[in-house]
Amino acid sequence: MANIQGAGTKQNTYDAIVVGSGISGGWAAKELTEKGLKTLVLERGRDVKHGDYPTAMKDSWEFEGRTKPALADVAKQQKQNRTGYTTHPATAHWFVNDLENPYSEDKPFDWMRGYHVGGRSLTWGRQSYRFSDLDFEANAKDGVAVDWPIRYADIAPWYDYAERFAGINGNRDGLAQLPDGQFLPPMEMNCLETQVRDRIKSSFGGRAMIIGRSANLTQPHNGRGNCQFRNRCSRGCPYGAYFSSNAATLPAAYATGNLTLRPFSIVNGLIYDKDKGRATGVRVIDAETNEVIEFHAKVIFLCASAIASTFILLNSKSDRFPNGLGNDSGELGHNLMDHHFKVGATGLSDEFADRYYRGHRPNGIYIPRFRNIDKASTRKDYLRGFGYQGSASRADWTLGIKELSLFGGKLKADLIAPGPWRMGIGSWGECLPYHANKLYLNTAVRDKWGQPTVTFDCGWKENELAMRKDMKQSAIEMLEAAGLKNVTGFDDVGASNPGNCIHEMGTARMGRDPKTSVLNKWNQVHTAPNVFVTDGACMTSNACVNPSLTYMALTARAADHAVGELKKQNL
Amino acid sequence: MNRREAIQRAALLLGVAITPSILQGVLRAQTPAAGAKPQFLTAAQFATASAVAERILPRTDTPGAIDVGVPAFIDLMAGKYMTDAERRTFTAGLAEVEAKSAAAHQAAFGKLPAAQQDALLTAMAEAAQPKRGTFFHQIKELTILGYFTSEPVGRNVTHYDPIPGRYQGCIPLAEVGNRAWTRN
Repeated sequence: MANIQGAGTKQNTYDAIVVGSGISGGWAAKELTEKGLKTLVLERGRDVKHGDYPTAMKDSWEFEGRTKPALADVAKQQKQNRTGYTTHPATAHWFVNDLENPYSEDKPFDWMRGYHVGGRSLTWGRQSYRFSDLDFEANAKDGVAVDWPIRYADIAPWYDYAERFAGINGNRDGLAQLPDGQFLPPMEMNCLETQVRDRIKSSFGGRAMIIGRSANLTQPHNGRGNCQFRNRCSRGCPYGAYFSSNAATLPAAYATGNLTLRPFSIVNGLIYDKDKGRATGVRVIDAETNEVIEFHAKVIFLCASAIASTFILLNSKSDRFPNGLGNDSGELGHNLMDHHFKVGATGLSDEFADRYYRGHRPNGIYIPRFRNIDKASTRKDYLRGFGYQGSASRADWTLGIKELSLFGGKLKADLIAPGPWRMGIGSWGECLPYHANKLYLNTAVRDKWGQPTVTFDCGWKENELAMRKDMKQSAIEMLEAAGLKNVTGFDDVGASNPGNCIHEMGTARMGRDPKTSVLNKWNQVHTAPNVFVTDGACMTSNACVNPSLTYMALTARAADHAVGELKKQNL
Repeated sequence: MNRREAIQRAALLLGVAITPSILQGVLRAQTPAAGAKPQFLTAAQFATASAVAERILPRTDTPGAIDVGVPAFIDLMAGKYMTDAERRTFTAGLAEVEAKSAAAHQAAFGKLPAAQQDALLTAMAEAAQPKRGTFFHQIKELTILGYFTSEPVGRNVTHYDPIPGRYQGCIPLAEVGNRAWTRN
């Protein structure tokens, strides 16, 4: 399938180019190479081979500052530090240096980035839920933004396909709003979670609290080892026991012999041929040498993450596309979404004092959406809904820090023993796609390579803020009904800027009409159909569930379509 | 099973080999430097911090703060992990402990009997409780953090099981001996 465009470009010509190596890019690489395409994956950061996880086996005492980052390190990650966990010494190396990778904020936006092979597939939360037709029909039903050009039936077989390869554990719960999938055996709830589940069910007319569905292997799967229950996932797993590009999709792509992966390759823009109506390749800046190199291919998959893929399109200006490639609609960069969270409740239990658990479970419980799912649950004060993630555990020694007046031998003995049982649930809420929530190119601030940067102008609006009141109140009600003591609600909206949930979506949305959307129902740019965008940028709405599984399914589906179109010589 | 065996078991279970860099990191034992000299604090400040930490978590049938190297950890935190403002609060707090000790007992805090040390610290804790970010908050956090993330405590005091291999959600506490799991 080599596309010979003259001797000079032959060595830089592939069948397909994939930009980015995170969850979406890894899937694109696997699917395209397995279907026989010579594929070049371009990753802007360093290479990380599976197993090359420097902190994976370290105990707390093997980090100089134990759990604390040194001031000199935090200075380089002021924005990455906004989550409160990403710059922990065990994981800080998976997040960017903010000084070298600046961006600007009209309103606060917390942009967490991992510039290395595998991207954020190494550090993701692994919660894996399907969207349902409740989600795909929502925009049309509510008259919000534009309609999704697909429905659940279009993506369901691709969810099956993605789950079978990735390995998702879970229980078949039979909920319409959270479709079941191809699950590995579920993880267990602990003593208190089981009790809270039963009490919520009986107090709220059968409301479900289920064990989380996560991309951790509860049995050996496709040559990868099963979970060891260390809960050190985000350091990288030497067992390959959770889904990452490094452990799963990239090894599969390499095994075909069709993969070329080029690290330190920053894609600056796409090269567009007006006569062909196609992108013919990409312009790359070598991050180490600053050399500019062009690579060519028949098909290009943008999988650089929502913001970065949109940046590449915005930065690909030509006579035909003065405002960015594929941007006839003016929607490119707009409709930016994230989940709003950090709202919920906590409580204590005085039961199960003689019970404990063994192992560090890298998963929690999930309370699927129960608002606006049918007539009876319809709210007048906001659209859409939210789910809760959480867990119960016995308090540990960190409890002793708060109560200043306690010290001495008794305190020490108390902290060595397991503390009281407690449970916390936090809510993840859907955010509507607003045209006003956007990013745009900033030519005044340039990065290390002279490229423009991005500026964010994005904030929560009335619907999200009204929803948050219910997110907090419902959490309190459930924990109280479950019999917990000292139930306390919280709403840290100030710590939940857009971006903080690391579920950036939108900015190059799918739609039926090229006048109002950037991508069609196969994730192709309407006006450059050999360019596919399959990461979070494509999302037309964001539901309330964690999105990565949907990127996997959409990417595999788009790759299948791309290869079919290539065979029909349509691209 | 000792640690080397645990790592070797881990290696056997891997889809890929552990890289030498991981193995080296794993097997490098760090010995806490009990009684070490301070790198950042003055000798007097270090002595005060050590004595306060030891009253927060004193030696009993389990090791105390000094036994497991908490003073060296506090010294490191003061030197490389606190902002200038935090360090000023911290060193002023150490000076205040000594000033109170001198005023009440005409002796260094470290030389006082435990009961007098505890009375002095209780008064400081009660004064600090409604506030945030005081010296007492700092030393309480650093002592407890330094203690429970230390190697001797993580391995031998709390229940060390870095590679559990399974999850059981509801077991009798007696099975693990009323000790919390070491944080992983």
